[in-house]
Amino acid sequence: MDVFLQQLINGLVLGGIYALIAVGYTMVYGIIQLINFAHGEVFMLGAYFAFTLVAIFHLPFWVAVPISMLLCAGFGLLMDFVAYRPIRNAPRLSALITAIGVSIALQNIARIIWGAKPQPFPEETLPSFLQQVTPLEDPNIYFSFLGINFTEVAIKFPGNVSLSYLDLSIILLAVILMFGLNRIVSLTKIGKAMRACAQNRVASNLMGIKTNQVIAITFAIGSALGAIAGVMVGVREYIEPTMGYYKGVAAFAAAVLGGIGNITGAMVGGLLMGLAEVFGAGYIDPIIEFVAKNIGLGEFYEAGKISNSYGSGYRVAISYIVMIIVILIRPTGLFGKSTGHRA
Amino acid sequence: MRNWLIGLLLVPFVFILGCDTGNEVRVAVAGPFTGNAAAFGEMIKRGAELKAKEINEAGGIKEFNDAGEVIRGRQLKLIFGDDVGTEKEAKAVATRFATDRRILAVVGHFNSSCSLAGKGIYKENGIVELSPGSTNVDVCQGSDWTFRNLYRDDFQGTFIANYIKNILTEFETVSVLFDNDDYGRGLRDAFTAEAKRINLNVVSEKAYDRDTTDYTAQLTSINADNPDVIFVSGLYGQAALIVKQARSLGITAQFFGADGIDSPEFIKNAGAAADGTYLTTPFTFGAGGEEAAKVAKAFEAEFGVQPDTWAALTYDAMGMIAEAIEKTYNSKSTLAENRKGIRDHLAGLDTPEEGYTGITGLTYFDINGDTVNKPAYVKIVKDGEYTTAEKQLLEIGTQN
Repeated sequence: MDVFLQQLINGLVLGGIYALIAVGYTMVYGIIQLINFAHGEVFMLGAYFAFTLVAIFHLPFWVAVPISMLLCAGFGLLMDFVAYRPIRNAPRLSALITAIGVSIALQNIARIIWGAKPQPFPEETLPSFLQQVTPLEDPNIYFSFLGINFTEVAIKFPGNVSLSYLDLSIILLAVILMFGLNRIVSLTKIGKAMRACAQNRVASNLMGIKTNQVIAITFAIGSALGAIAGVMVGVREYIEPTMGYYKGVAAFAAAVLGGIGNITGAMVGGLLMGLAEVFGAGYIDPIIEFVAKNIGLGEFYEAGKISNSYGSGYRVAISYIVMIIVILIRPTGLFGKSTGHRA
Repeated sequence: MRNWLIGLLLVPFVFILGCDTGNEVRVAVAGPFTGNAAAFGEMIKRGAELKAKEINEAGGIKEFNDAGEVIRGRQLKLIFGDDVGTEKEAKAVATRFATDRRILAVVGHFNSSCSLAGKGIYKENGIVELSPGSTNVDVCQGSDWTFRNLYRDDFQGTFIANYIKNILTEFETVSVLFDNDDYGRGLRDAFTAEAKRINLNVVSEKAYDRDTTDYTAQLTSINADNPDVIFVSGLYGQAALIVKQARSLGITAQFFGADGIDSPEFIKNAGAAADGTYLTTPFTFGAGGEEAAKVAKAFEAEFGVQPDTWAALTYDAMGMIAEAIEKTYNSKSTLAENRKGIRDHLAGLDTPEEGYTGITGLTYFDINGDTVNKPAYVKIVKDGEYTTAEKQLLEIGTQN
């Protein structure tokens, strides 16, 4: 049970990361039906911008993160203006190819500027609760509540189940941003304009909505969210030019799973992909063992001809299989609607 | 005016024609210069560059007349090929090098998967592949053209199992976390086979994929068995994340790695979580002699960082190729003959007496092209630096 709870937490954290990135894909798609493959690279740039501001310009973390978000928002605007706006009315395939081109170009530019080697986020510049350096000895306990210990770096649940504050912030951030975005889209004027654009761009334009401006703002918001996701992942793991690619593909799959174009869908899809990946990795091996023994291949299993240790290496495949099954059953994704308004 | 302009335009041509290409020999270096093993590639590149620079400054690769006098020195020119650490790119790089009519030999690749991917191509085209980093058992099997100047994983895996059993006696149970590629699997196979033989209790094994960056799921499953030691059979980038995430999950097991995590980048990326990690390595400057210390100094002066194991092994590999060229190259021979000459020379280094002595010690090859005489050293990460572990296990000797 402890293992199960820990895996649940692991899955939620990974899912939170996917969800943060997936929102960027889904917002843009909702409005202009463009799969912005370069979003993964904006995520990567967000991490690099914050890293540069902290490591080279010695800005405090709390200053560097908003600046990085602003820079990425500006970058999103620029990307839309330079690469996507000129071909807004071209066939959709042109825009898709452009997006892939922008993605590859940005990856290589990042490689030239910051080098190909992964860089860790300088630990000493982080606020103390985001640090992960766990002392091996029993850490100081700040306070306990219902058997849950709040220590220096992590929350310890009974049974050695642990959740670091960094991981907790990733989940919380994903939830908060998701609700915030939902509020913006459903309550504000710009949100209304976004929804109108999503329904019918030409008609919105005729009604006096400056659609180009709305699209630009969507790019800016999506990119700023991508930036903060990049920083969190950069802090948790490390920063490298291809970090946006692998995470981006998974997040895109999450957006599709949730119903692309739907913000709640991106959130749920992200969490589902994360959980599928972690539970897949955690439980595929016992499942292989169980199946092998129950379909009469027990001898092969004992002899080591069927190995139970490789399964977790295919964790990513497992999460994609879950996605494919969902899409087969519900082609529009969990929250997607076949027609009508998105965003 | 016009004549003057034409004259100016002709100047570069005169220079090009004037260059005597016979004054230069080309050797290729293949490695992961970008991608997630780039830290290794960087060191390989620098190790090769340093050796080439030293050779060129000392007059290049010399040609002697019958009386033993130097009649000319050829500059050694390095051609780099980035295999990104993937099989696909390795094949492309191998094809480019093997079919380039100016390249005499290849130093590389680093990743075992890449050396294996290139092996067939090099064999078919008759060009030497000398790896300074691939340890998978099969790398040199079945090709007369592939060599390496470090130990194999069957030795390394056996060594690690014995070290844990005999030296780290306070530990009883081990879990293995392995990279699902040729290197990670091969090393894990060797380790578990030996562990079984010497009754070292391996409680669980889990694979991971190099393209993922989250290992919490595997670590949580492993920790359910409460192992004393977690042996990571993989490369530094993933290993750094693994130890970091393990400590963040509150896992207190001892970590043990192999030469795949022997890179300063491991410590840089893992931070304080790297402390206490044991690892094996084919070479350490701490155990090297005076020559090694001198090269380390020159390396630091040139590049501003300390060399690592891979820079040292590449430095020696480059030295071996240069020596082979010096002894066998003949400008009147065809390319195929010259390439074969280098191979025959390397294959002739088959006894301790014939072997090549470099900064990483004596290197000589067995019938496959494997180096079987080099020992493994154990290092431990202490206060953010690699230090040679107090207790070594050199008496286990070498393979075979």
